[in-house]
Amino acid sequence: MTSKDLTLTNVSRRFGTVTALDNFNLHVGVGELVALLGPSGCGKTTALRIIAGLESLDSGKVTVGEKDISRIPAHKRNMGMVFQAYSLFPNLTVEENVAFGLQMRKVSKHLRLKKAHELLELVGLPTHAKRFTHQLSGGQQQRVALARALAFSPEILLLDEPLSALDAQVRVNLREEIRRLQISLGTTTVFVTHDQEEAMSISDRVGVMSHGVLEQIDTPDVLYNAPATAFVANFVGVMNRIPADLANGKVSIFGKSLTASKKGSESGKIVALLRPETISVKKSSSQGNARVLTRSFQGASSAIICQTHEGTIVQSLMASFDTGDFHPGTLVDLEVSTNEVMVTNV
Amino acid sequence: MKRRIDLPLLITLTTLALFVFVPMISAFEYSIRTPVEGGYGLTNYKWAVADEDFLYYILRSGWLSALTVLVTLVILVPTVTWLHLSDSKLRPLIDGLSLLPLVIPVVAFAVGAQISLPEFVQNTVLELPFLYFILALPYAYRALDIGLNSIPLKTITEAARSTGASWSRTIISVIIPVIRGAVMGTIALTFALSLGEYTLTVLLHWDTFPTWVTFVAQENILGAIAISMMSLIIPFILLTGITLLMPDRSAQRRK
Amino acid sequence: MTSNIKVEGAPLERSAFRFFKVTSVLPALPFLLIFGFFFIYPITKLIYVSFMSNENTFTFGNFQTAFTQPYSTGFVNSIKIAFLSALIAAFPGAIAAYFIETRGPSKLKRSLAMMNGVLANTGGVPLAFMFMAAIGMQGTLTKVLKYFGIDIYAGTFSLGTFTGILLVYLYFQLPLMVIVFSPAIMSLRREWVEAAKNLGASQINYWFRVGFPLLFPSFIASFLLLFASGFSAYATANALTVGNLPLTPLQIGGLLDGNVSASQLNLGKALSVVMILISAVAVIPYLIIQRKAARWQRR
Repeated sequence: MTSKDLTLTNVSRRFGTVTALDNFNLHVGVGELVALLGPSGCGKTTALRIIAGLESLDSGKVTVGEKDISRIPAHKRNMGMVFQAYSLFPNLTVEENVAFGLQMRKVSKHLRLKKAHELLELVGLPTHAKRFTHQLSGGQQQRVALARALAFSPEILLLDEPLSALDAQVRVNLREEIRRLQISLGTTTVFVTHDQEEAMSISDRVGVMSHGVLEQIDTPDVLYNAPATAFVANFVGVMNRIPADLANGKVSIFGKSLTASKKGSESGKIVALLRPETISVKKSSSQGNARVLTRSFQGASSAIICQTHEGTIVQSLMASFDTGDFHPGTLVDLEVSTNEVMVTNV
Repeated sequence: MKRRIDLPLLITLTTLALFVFVPMISAFEYSIRTPVEGGYGLTNYKWAVADEDFLYYILRSGWLSALTVLVTLVILVPTVTWLHLSDSKLRPLIDGLSLLPLVIPVVAFAVGAQISLPEFVQNTVLELPFLYFILALPYAYRALDIGLNSIPLKTITEAARSTGASWSRTIISVIIPVIRGAVMGTIALTFALSLGEYTLTVLLHWDTFPTWVTFVAQENILGAIAISMMSLIIPFILLTGITLLMPDRSAQRRK
Repeated sequence: MTSNIKVEGAPLERSAFRFFKVTSVLPALPFLLIFGFFFIYPITKLIYVSFMSNENTFTFGNFQTAFTQPYSTGFVNSIKIAFLSALIAAFPGAIAAYFIETRGPSKLKRSLAMMNGVLANTGGVPLAFMFMAAIGMQGTLTKVLKYFGIDIYAGTFSLGTFTGILLVYLYFQLPLMVIVFSPAIMSLRREWVEAAKNLGASQINYWFRVGFPLLFPSFIASFLLLFASGFSAYATANALTVGNLPLTPLQIGGLLDGNVSASQLNLGKALSVVMILISAVAVIPYLIIQRKAARWQRR
């Protein structure tokens, strides 16, 4: 079965007084990996469960290829899903788990076991076929769950925070592996996570959600460098929030006049949003405009946390070799390296 | 979410309610008959409560059960705590031993106790709390074991010890409060089991509230039925009431 | 074990190692002493004495008598009543546990758990009197049923017969089933139903491939525990029968009290030992299954 594209049109879902999804629209192209990213309760999991058919929708429709599947029950949808954890059937062996979807599709025993072994090979567990799930580590269990979700060549692959229960190192390895497999099989994939690093590192596009609404969906680069809303700007990456005055579309930060881009009020008190790498720190010969609080070494780069004389905490990210003598208490000058700045209301 | 009436649940509950309450209500009706005057009244209940033995045996069963609880806590809490902390080789052994009383029918245990325990033990009613302790052991041990498994015991203990608490102080003011759910469960279970224990008690020729009821039955069956109804219905209402009034912990824990 | 590795370390650890034997048992000593004195010793003595003749010589005679009349009938009846009461209670109990655990609000669950606890444990004598009042010859329920044209005493029924005892046993067996089977239901994860659906399984497929196989061991285990509980029950039967229904626990009680005399003084002990063996056949598999099931039931 070849992969298809997936479209959600005006999907809404309410739980009592809570609106989990509000006129939600999403398109995932063939073979694309789209992550849905957002804080807990933003509706990302609901969206995924609606795609899988595990949750019903109040209005709107879900389309795979040309076909409206909104009313098709979950077990007839042909989508593979990987859950957070503990979703493997404990009474079955690893290979039986992986072959489960094919068994449900009445594939002969010989063929389905062959396919199961192929997939176990792909996820790097060829020798674990006969084991039971309680004999596997958390990372191995999720690999098996991935193999199981892919074994019956689903049209869509759904990943519901599959890495959140794992240790940091395993998490990084497994996410690379998921991406590698996804590309080689060309499976259209939706990946739900609350970890932005995870979403940004392996996705073609990332959709940032808040309160049941898709705030912005774009490539990781665009999301980071040109966030459409203040929510996205704050949620993705580290962002400095510096209070300033807006006059005639201009803002003055650390003595430099910047053009305010996008939304926000036309004049008055605002907050300017600046990435740490757009702020550089120079040793001051006199009072400077800030004082170093700490420096945290991160390898090639270092984060310098400063406090302006007005009291605002500002983080700067610089190449490490420039930052050796920024000891706590050093008086410094902060400078902005961009000409445009995004602003938001206080 | 919309509140729909759940048909299978409703059928289940109705069937269960019929099964439990039909005999209970029938028996209650029987117990408030007054054969002499005709009609209904609390004559049998008044008769039972007026008997001075009533209070005597309630108190006797009460303090024997309280003593069983004490014995259980004093012996088990430190032992189970220590087993959890020390990774002792004894742990699997004691885990297994604690389940052994489940295997032995109480009648057989009573015979064994009668032929083996020395006279000075069998001559005092204080043997009962220790024997009840054995009967409650499989449940009490498991309740405490689960309670201790669910907390980071090592960290808590080391924290308490590092701030200068002695072992006894660590157990009493740190560990017991942390696993108070399991401890309360153990207390309730041990107390209830001791209070209702009949077989062992009667075979070893001791008198407690449950055995007294059979004695009453010989002279006034209606009185015995009234007492039985009280000993079934009162804990029933009391415990259900407590359950419904207590805050819902599982609901609180959900985010 | 681990201390062997650490021995090279500080002198403190070396001295700890020296006292390894004592310190590793000492804290468990109170428990072991009391358990040994009040449990191990009585049971060991029981087994020992069951092989003693009246003249204190070794004999199998007690056991030979234990398998003759009326004691063999006692065993047959006891096993039959335990088996039937467990079997009849197991299915409705399991289904009730399922609906209560999966669909009941938590307050309902907790109060039902309490009620079940009272019913399954308070049992015994009060239960017997309650049933006398309800379906005894003059019982209320008996009269109500008669009014509707059902005379339960038309045949050979009486509370003191096999059927009567069976009926009363069900009253504590069913709640006991709900109690012991509920944990298995609770540990069925929602993810499994959803994963099965997602993989193309219908509701029926899920139950036959995953649900039932997972619950089956716990079901058997619960059945075995019910069997043991029905087999050992003494109080209810003692209050309802007047020596007309041979059941092993009652026979042992009679011999212990001296109400019944036997030419062999230690016959009761042999009966007890056989009872322990039969009970063990049920309880030990129960414990093993529980332990195995715990592997996937943990969290």
